[in-house]
Amino acid sequence: MSSVTKAASSSLTVAKLGWGHPLPGGGWRQLFSDFSLTCPAGQFLVVIGSNGSGKSTLLNLVAGTLALADGQIHLGNRPLHKLRDYQRARWIGRVMQNPLEGTCPGLTVAENLRLAERRSRPARLIGGALIGMLGGIHPNGADRRRYRELLADLGLPLADRLDEPVGQLSGGQRQTLSLVMATLSSPDLLLLDEHTAALDPRAEATVMALTERLIRRFGTTTLMVTHSLDQALGHGDRLVMLHEGRLIGDWSAAEREALDPPALRAMYGTAIVAPQSSSAPDGSSAS
Amino acid sequence: MLSLWLGAADQGLAYAGLALGTYLTLRVLNFPDLTVDGSFALGGGAAAVLISQGAPVPVALAMAILFGCLAGLVTGLIHTRLGVNDLFAGILTTTGLYSITLRLMGRSNIPLPETPAGIQALPDLGLGIDGQWAVALILAMGGLILLISLLLATDFGLSLRALGNNPTMARANGINQRRGLTVGIAAANGLVALAGALVANYQGFADVTMGIGSLILGLGMVIIGESVLRPRSVPQALLAVVLGAILFRTLIAIALQLGLEPVDLKLATALLLLIALAFGRLRIPGLSDQGRLQG
Repeated sequence: MSSVTKAASSSLTVAKLGWGHPLPGGGWRQLFSDFSLTCPAGQFLVVIGSNGSGKSTLLNLVAGTLALADGQIHLGNRPLHKLRDYQRARWIGRVMQNPLEGTCPGLTVAENLRLAERRSRPARLIGGALIGMLGGIHPNGADRRRYRELLADLGLPLADRLDEPVGQLSGGQRQTLSLVMATLSSPDLLLLDEHTAALDPRAEATVMALTERLIRRFGTTTLMVTHSLDQALGHGDRLVMLHEGRLIGDWSAAEREALDPPALRAMYGTAIVAPQSSSAPDGSSAS
Repeated sequence: MLSLWLGAADQGLAYAGLALGTYLTLRVLNFPDLTVDGSFALGGGAAAVLISQGAPVPVALAMAILFGCLAGLVTGLIHTRLGVNDLFAGILTTTGLYSITLRLMGRSNIPLPETPAGIQALPDLGLGIDGQWAVALILAMGGLILLISLLLATDFGLSLRALGNNPTMARANGINQRRGLTVGIAAANGLVALAGALVANYQGFADVTMGIGSLILGLGMVIIGESVLRPRSVPQALLAVVLGAILFRTLIAIALQLGLEPVDLKLATALLLLIALAFGRLRIPGLSDQGRLQG
């Protein structure tokens, strides 16, 4: 439990972001130009927007899976834009949209948790063989006890399935595990990329409840991207809306309470059918 | 007859490093590595040169492993740093290694007339020199299985397994994919080169062409081992792979006994693997199509 009890948090500052991508038929689409956003330490920020609005791209730029063209991204005083994605992982926990992507299906639950636990100090790969041997076998009995306690403490039935391959778990269980993994080494920033999109309503409710509990428990700065207006209106300390790489709405929790849901839906709908939208005909987009 | 089976088992054990290396790249790292054709001959050639110049056999084996690691390192760097496709990276290294091995050996074939003194000092179990080889190789492969099992059970090994299983997730958990792949491919080729050196010692010569078809051979050994033992853990998988190497060489011995011409052996091996691939029992990254072609 020691690795998960420390509250850790830093502010996220995105400044003068610039990013674009080539279009399939030729030409260029500039998605972000001079885009800035600040998320104070400990804030749970929800980002909504239609397809192609840039919300997932924003998450990928922060995580480092997409390379920044212009601008700067800081986590506290750490210049993330100067680091590679695996180096940023030391401070960032991520839950991906697809439950298959966020875990290693061929490894056991305990082995996945061990990987996540080591995220802040991953195994050295040069000279790592010798150091690895000296470090002993992992996950060992002590690791398993720790994980069992953690999962039981969170009320998750995974506590009894530590030695099962993750590939045998359901989508909801995998996403639950992915969420626990993302918060396991007390990250300074948690990135949630439509992490309930592939789940049925029951699993979605379970994962969202756990999300809320973990974020509140550790006070982690969180950026959650979602398509669900229900989630946007029911979770988080602040809600922002993106459209075509621009911020078109920014509401605190109190302001959000006063929002008229039908009006927000209409605004969201407008963004979806905006004639300037350059989403691909098949519905795929940079987001 | 006993000598035939024992000889086949000895050969299988000598080739087991090739199977272990293939398992490491294909099953653990999910990387189809064609370097093995070159590193197998490099290991055999390097060991033969050193032994023929009077170097102790253990030193020759260690140098063969080192050379194999360097060959794997080159493939890893070509793939991860220059962005060359995994298959092409291996082909490029293997092509270059042919000349390097030939340069190293000075000629295409080096005979090694004497069985190493270390082998001759071992108990023969009443089975003569083949028994002594069996004892030496069982000890060596047992040690290798133990070492690799332990290594893959550490944080280091867990990182390599995660890279092969889900590179996106591995990177999201702080693992350097480039470095991990490079280190893994280097280690696998070290094992393959060790197999080359052991085979050269066992058969009494090294030949610059001895590595041709090694990948297919290694694959065949992995498939047979996994089919027979159906492993459920890493140590079981390593044991299965070594057993697969022994069974594979035994099948070859049987085929030869039944009248198959030695010149047709590689064709028979290729056909066996093709059947396994075609019937979908085997999915090999980069080598298996993910779906049937349309139209």
